[in-house]
Amino acid sequence: MPQAPPTHVFRWDLDKTYLRTDFDSFRDLVKSAFEKAIDKRAVPGAPALLRALKQAGGATHRVCIISGSPEQMRAVLAAKLKIDGVEFDELVLKDNLGNLMRGRFRALRAQVPYKLPALLASRVALMKAGGEAANETLFGDDAESDALIYSLYADLTAGRLTRRDMIEILDAAEAYDDQRETTLALCQELSAGARDRDVVQRILIHLDRRSPTGGFDRFGGRLVPIFNYFQAALLLHSDRLLAAADVIGVAREMLASGEYTLAQLANSLQDLLRRGHLRRDVASRLALEAQEIVTAHRKEWADLPSTEEIAWSFATRVRALGEQEIPPAPPSKPLDYPKLIQEERRK
Amino acid sequence: MFRIAVDAMGGDRAPDEVVRGAADASLASKNVELILVGDAQRLGRLLAEHRHDAEVLSIQHASEVVAMDAKPAEALAAKPDASITVAAKLVAGGEADALVSAGNTGAGVLACSQHFKKIAGVRRAALAAVYPTEMRRGEKDDPFSLILDVGATLDVTPDDLVSFALMGAAYASRISKNPRPRVALLSNGSEAGKGPKEIVEAHQLLLRHTGLNFIGNVEGVDIPRGTADVVVCGGFVGNIVVKMLEGVSETILGLARYAYKEKLLWRAALGMLSGGINRLKALTDWQEYGGAPLLGFDKPFIKAHGRSGARAVANAIRVTHKALESGLVGEIQRGVAEFHQRRDAAA
Repeated sequence: MPQAPPTHVFRWDLDKTYLRTDFDSFRDLVKSAFEKAIDKRAVPGAPALLRALKQAGGATHRVCIISGSPEQMRAVLAAKLKIDGVEFDELVLKDNLGNLMRGRFRALRAQVPYKLPALLASRVALMKAGGEAANETLFGDDAESDALIYSLYADLTAGRLTRRDMIEILDAAEAYDDQRETTLALCQELSAGARDRDVVQRILIHLDRRSPTGGFDRFGGRLVPIFNYFQAALLLHSDRLLAAADVIGVAREMLASGEYTLAQLANSLQDLLRRGHLRRDVASRLALEAQEIVTAHRKEWADLPSTEEIAWSFATRVRALGEQEIPPAPPSKPLDYPKLIQEERRK
Repeated sequence: MFRIAVDAMGGDRAPDEVVRGAADASLASKNVELILVGDAQRLGRLLAEHRHDAEVLSIQHASEVVAMDAKPAEALAAKPDASITVAAKLVAGGEADALVSAGNTGAGVLACSQHFKKIAGVRRAALAAVYPTEMRRGEKDDPFSLILDVGATLDVTPDDLVSFALMGAAYASRISKNPRPRVALLSNGSEAGKGPKEIVEAHQLLLRHTGLNFIGNVEGVDIPRGTADVVVCGGFVGNIVVKMLEGVSETILGLARYAYKEKLLWRAALGMLSGGINRLKALTDWQEYGGAPLLGFDKPFIKAHGRSGARAVANAIRVTHKALESGLVGEIQRGVAEFHQRRDAAA
C-alpha cells in the first residue's frame, strides 16, 4: 500500500529546546560532549509532546531534528531520543570537525549559514517526495538565533524574499562561498516548486534564558515565545494538531517530573491568554474536554490532582484577567534580516 | 509553595518599578508564586519588557488605584476595586498567603484591618521599621534594629505595648535570626518608673509575665547606638522617631554635598573618605532591607517604601517569603497566647 504523503512537519532544535543543556562555560561544554545518553536530561514535557505529535499523525507527521551539536554526538543523541520513546525521521548535525580541519572557524559559531541551508534542503527533499502540501511547526530556543533563522525560513518558503534579498542576508551572515552557493541553489529549487502560501504555521521559541517576551514582538504573531511545553501543547491544540488528551499527557509528564505544580501550569495558561496567543473560547472548550477525560481516566491517572482542583486552578487564573478585551497577537511584519543578523552578532 | 499578592499599582514609581521588582523576584525562586494585582493589560505589557518567569507569576485584574496622597478611609470606600483592596481580599480568601505593597501606607493598613483577622490576644496592629545601628546582632551580624509601632496605632494601652514587644521579638528571632533579641521600651529615662502611665505599666507586665529578654527602658539616644534590638513605643512617638532618623540622615548627606561644592580641600577629604561613605551607604540603604512589616494580623503584610524601585520591591518580596517560610505569624500567636496564660495564672 502506498504511504500517505506527509501533512505536517515538526522541526526541532535539540540543545536548550529538547535537551536541558548547559554550555555557558567551557566546562559545561566538555561535560555535555562526554555525557552518556542516560545522563542527558530532556526539558519536562518535551518528550511527551514529541511522542504525541508523532502518534497524532502517524506517517503523515514528520519529526525532523536539526541541531548545532557535532556529528560525533549522533549515536548518543539518537540513543537519548530512543530512551525517551521519541521517533524521528531526520537528524541533522553540524560537521564541526570538518569545519575545524578546513580552518573554517567562523562556521563553528555561525548559525544562519548552517541551519538555513539544512532547513531548506530538508524542505526541498520533502517536496520531491510529494510533501509540498505539508505545513510546518518549528521549535527552537532563545539561546541562539533560532527566532531569526526560523522566521527567515518561513518567509523564504512563503516566497516573500528575492534572490537579491538572500544575497544581502548571506553577506550579513558572513557565509562562506560554498554555503552561499548551496543556499541560493536551494532557494531556487524551493521557489520552483513553491506555491505562494505560508507553510510555516507556527514558530515556538522555548525561553530557556527567560528572555523578555516583548523582544520577540518584531517577529509577529506567527512566533510565540513559550516558557514550557504545556504552553506549546495548548497552542498546538488550538492549531488542531493535538487532542485534549495529548495536552493532558504533556501536563502529566511535567507534573511527574516534580519540577511543576498545577498552579504553575495554570499560570502558564494565563500567560498565553494575556499575551493574546490563546483565545478564551479555546481555553474554555479545552477545559471542559479535559475535565471529561480526567474523570474518565481517574483510576489510571491517580497521580493527577483532583478534577475539582484542576478546574478551580485554571478557572481562577482565567477569571483573574477580568472582562477586559485581550488584544490579539500582532501580525507578522516584513523583517530587515541583514539588520537583525548584525544585531544578533553584536549580542 | 507560598503565594504572595503584590499590589502592583501602589507606590510613587508604580507600576513600572513594582513589575520590574516582581519580575526579578520571579527568577530568584521557584518556591514562591507571585500574583500581581492591578490593571491586567498594563501589567502584561510591562512584564513583556522584562526577564521574568511566567510559571510563578500571574495577574489579578483590579481596575482602580488608591493615590499615594489619598485619604485612606475615603479612598477605600470610593474605590472597591482598588488594587490594595483586591490584593488584601485575595490573601483573606486564601488565594494568597501574604501581601506586599509600596502604596499608600494608611490604605494598606486599613485594607488589612478590614479583611485580615487579628491574632487572638492582639488588640491593635503595629507597623515596624528597621533602622541602622552601631551595634550588630544575630547570626548574620545584622546592623539593623526594629522599632515598633511607627504609625499604625496612635493611642496605645499597656497591653498593646506588650503585644508590640512580643511581635517585634518574634520578627527579630525569625527574620533577623537573632535567637534572643534584647527588647526595650522607649521612654524619657532608663528607670522603671519613668515615662507616661502606659509605659510604666507595660514595663511591669513585660518583666512579670513574659519570657522576653527585656532590658528595660531606653532613651532616644540609645536607638542609633543599637542598645536594644527591638524598641517598643506607641505609633505617635514611633512615627516621629523614624521620620527624624530619616531627616537626620538626609541632612548629613545634604551637608556633605554642600561641602563637596564649597571648598577644594573639603572635596579632597570627602574623596578620600568615599570608600567608607559608600560602604556606610550600602549598609544603611533602605532599599536593601525590604520594607516595614505590619504585625498583629493572621497574614503577613510587608509595606515597602513609597519610593521603592525594583530592588526594594524584590527585597520586600524576599522578606515576605522569609516571614512565611519561618512561620512568623505562628511564633507571634504562641508568644501572645503564652503572655495571656501567664498573666491569667498570676491573677
